[in-house]
Amino acid sequence: MYRYDAIDRSVIQDRSAEFRDQVERRLSGALTEEHFKPLRLMNGLYLQLHAYMLRVAIPYGALSSDQLRGLARIGRIYDKGYGHFTTRQNLQFNWIRLEQTPDILDALAEVDLHAIQTSGNCIRNTTSDPYAGATAEEVDDPRVWCEAIRQWSTLHPEFSYLPRKFKIAVTAAPQDRTAAKVHDIGLVLRRDRDGQLGFEVMVGGGMGRTPYLGTTIREHLPVQSLLSYLSAILRVYNRHGRRDNIFKARVKILVAALGAGEFARQVEAEWTTMDRVAVDLPDVELARIRGAFSYVRFVDASPVSSSLEAARRADPTLGRFVRNNVKPHKIAGHAIVNISLKTPGEVPGDCSSDQMDAIANLADQYGYGEIRVTHEQNLVLPHVKLDDLAAVHAGLKAAGLACPNVGLASDIIACPGLDYCSLANTRAIPVAQSIAQRFSMPDVAESVGELKIKISGCINACGHHHVGHIGILGVDKKGEEFFQLTLGGSGAEDASLGDVLGPAVAYDQVTPAVDALVQAYLRERRGAERFLDTYRRVGLTPFKAAVYAEAH
Amino acid sequence: MSLAAVTASDLRDGEVVFWAEGRWVKRFADAELFNAVEPGQAALDLARAQPTIVVEPYLINLDLEGGVPVPTSYRERVRALGPTIHPEMGKQAEGGLVVQALRAHAGGARSSGRLGLIRLKR
Amino acid sequence: MPKLISRDGPEASSFVWREDGFTHIADDEAPGGELGQVIISLSRFQADGDRWLAEGRSVGVRLKPEDPVEGLAYDLPRLAVVALEFPKFRDGRALSAAALLRERYGYAGELRAVGEVVRDLAKEMSRCGFDSFEPSDGSTPEQWTISVFRFRHVYQSAADRRAPAFRERIHIPTAEG
Repeated sequence: MYRYDAIDRSVIQDRSAEFRDQVERRLSGALTEEHFKPLRLMNGLYLQLHAYMLRVAIPYGALSSDQLRGLARIGRIYDKGYGHFTTRQNLQFNWIRLEQTPDILDALAEVDLHAIQTSGNCIRNTTSDPYAGATAEEVDDPRVWCEAIRQWSTLHPEFSYLPRKFKIAVTAAPQDRTAAKVHDIGLVLRRDRDGQLGFEVMVGGGMGRTPYLGTTIREHLPVQSLLSYLSAILRVYNRHGRRDNIFKARVKILVAALGAGEFARQVEAEWTTMDRVAVDLPDVELARIRGAFSYVRFVDASPVSSSLEAARRADPTLGRFVRNNVKPHKIAGHAIVNISLKTPGEVPGDCSSDQMDAIANLADQYGYGEIRVTHEQNLVLPHVKLDDLAAVHAGLKAAGLACPNVGLASDIIACPGLDYCSLANTRAIPVAQSIAQRFSMPDVAESVGELKIKISGCINACGHHHVGHIGILGVDKKGEEFFQLTLGGSGAEDASLGDVLGPAVAYDQVTPAVDALVQAYLRERRGAERFLDTYRRVGLTPFKAAVYAEAH
Repeated sequence: MSLAAVTASDLRDGEVVFWAEGRWVKRFADAELFNAVEPGQAALDLARAQPTIVVEPYLINLDLEGGVPVPTSYRERVRALGPTIHPEMGKQAEGGLVVQALRAHAGGARSSGRLGLIRLKR
Repeated sequence: MPKLISRDGPEASSFVWREDGFTHIADDEAPGGELGQVIISLSRFQADGDRWLAEGRSVGVRLKPEDPVEGLAYDLPRLAVVALEFPKFRDGRALSAAALLRERYGYAGELRAVGEVVRDLAKEMSRCGFDSFEPSDGSTPEQWTISVFRFRHVYQSAADRRAPAFRERIHIPTAEG
């Protein structure tokens, strides 16, 4: 993976020093809270219900084992021994003290990590495919372009005080694991008929209270022009995006107001007059970045592992783990291992410091020292030999991390909700825990098959409920926690926004309602249809009947 | 006016704090209670004059739960207790009568616990 | 006379206090006698600019964030100052306007930041091409210098012509040398 050089390190050290100065000015009273708040947010520091929360950037979801150990250490010293992986491939610490934050940033910088632009109205961490560099599906390694974007967007002088936050996703595989169509910009790498690499550029996707899927404004942008084209989009947005109403300030509103055609025209006009040579990375720099991602020297391995097959016969839990959590790798004899952070009963996305250390050790021993974070709040060991799978499984089991439920009903995305978040209307985590318990029997979950349940505790949609096969949105109804259900959303390549099922249900009715939806699906499904496919074929009616017959 | 208290977040550590006769206390059980508008407002004004001690102080409405005052708003009860999913974390870990009352009280799951924004269920 | 924080020469690595000879004139305010140096709004400039320039005044124009800089393109050589307004420091539109003035329209005169001008944005403003500042937060030139040059390296090329990381890495100096 990409390793920081002296220049990259200097930037995070200097940023840390800058923030230390800002914190000192706040503590001394030189800065008011009103002035300080946007500055601390630019560095990922929120004031939540019980303490400060620090969001650490994990650039495009890629971590080294040393970095994960660094996070584990910070969790022990400065938090309560755990962290929370988010739907944006970042990590949040929940129990942070403002006065210690500068020291935490210095500790992060020691392992080349930081909190730069993890909040605020700026360009946020780029989302990418957690299987990048490991899946045979991709036409190019998206991390090369993510790293280019990371450098370009870091402390960008012109684009750090935008109308609102700005999120970019890059994927290079036909199966979209980044939710590209619900990002402000979604970039899909493709080769054209002549074999030239280019980006399909989609803009104006997003969730929140006004969800949109992105619209394509350019079918095939030559890859060398990526940064200048992004600059053109950002400049149009920075100048013309609304600033009078926070709920209408995202680029999706500007794209919708102008129309995608007119927005694209303005972007092209900006782009063609821009000094692109000054902005786009020269080939030699792109080659340097690319080289950093191709360092893994895969050990030759047999495409079939007899030891794995024997171990699977001996241990059915390993068989189930391989079936659900292990995906094909581009190199023969290797596999991609998904680590579920959704063991029923646990908090989705939470990982203890001890578990982080255990994963880092497994990554060192069996996985070339690399770990990925998924936007579905799980972790990935991207390169594991088939011969080592049984050992990895045993290691995960010992750390309480071998739950074989990836992609199943108990693999639920949930935002922190009212248990932590000062913006939330309702809790989300206990709702997820209750549903996960309902599907905790592995046979039951497997018989239901792929089912993406996503829960947000408020309209800001951090839990991605709009793109859940079953989406759950917490609303406040006359002072009580209620939950609105949506069906048929998807954040994958077949992206769609969910349809509202009907009236919201009470807190203790959510799990029975989800159960009723699943039963209706099992009655209606044909062959190997997923929940989503069945819903798309039959529509709301049978699901509505099932829920509102049983919940009321 | 019903019962009220003044709450804020501690600037340095972000912890939930309550006003108690010129000091800030960490436990809701130790919070000063106001049963009239003027003293509550006066305490809030004093609290607002301490921007290097606390962040954004505000008044919260209280109800009685079995005779024990507790915040009307669910959000404020979560603040006074800690995360519902981690009973060992936050103020609730100490236990006691007030913590029990905070847990027992129902309703008021509003996003803001601020005075005047709460519609009580009757 | 009010003071400005100003760069001590175009390529200087420090900032100094400078006397401000210009007066901001509101739209309903008379410009004062003595043919003083004035900074006026875009609409006032469109109404009275030609006459005042003909009288021999030094004229600067103050743009609100929603005023299009494109409209000033042909007047730039006649202007002594372009002042761009930050109604709040979090409003970054003037950063784009500054970048456009410097990079697209080749404006080489004084580019002044007015409004809520705080040292926490000094490096962004400076990199986008601002060279004089009316600080609203009590900052000193010394503090401004620290803020602007705190970062030893930058990732982007911008109006300040600092060499971005991708050029430093391959030891190719910028086109301007």
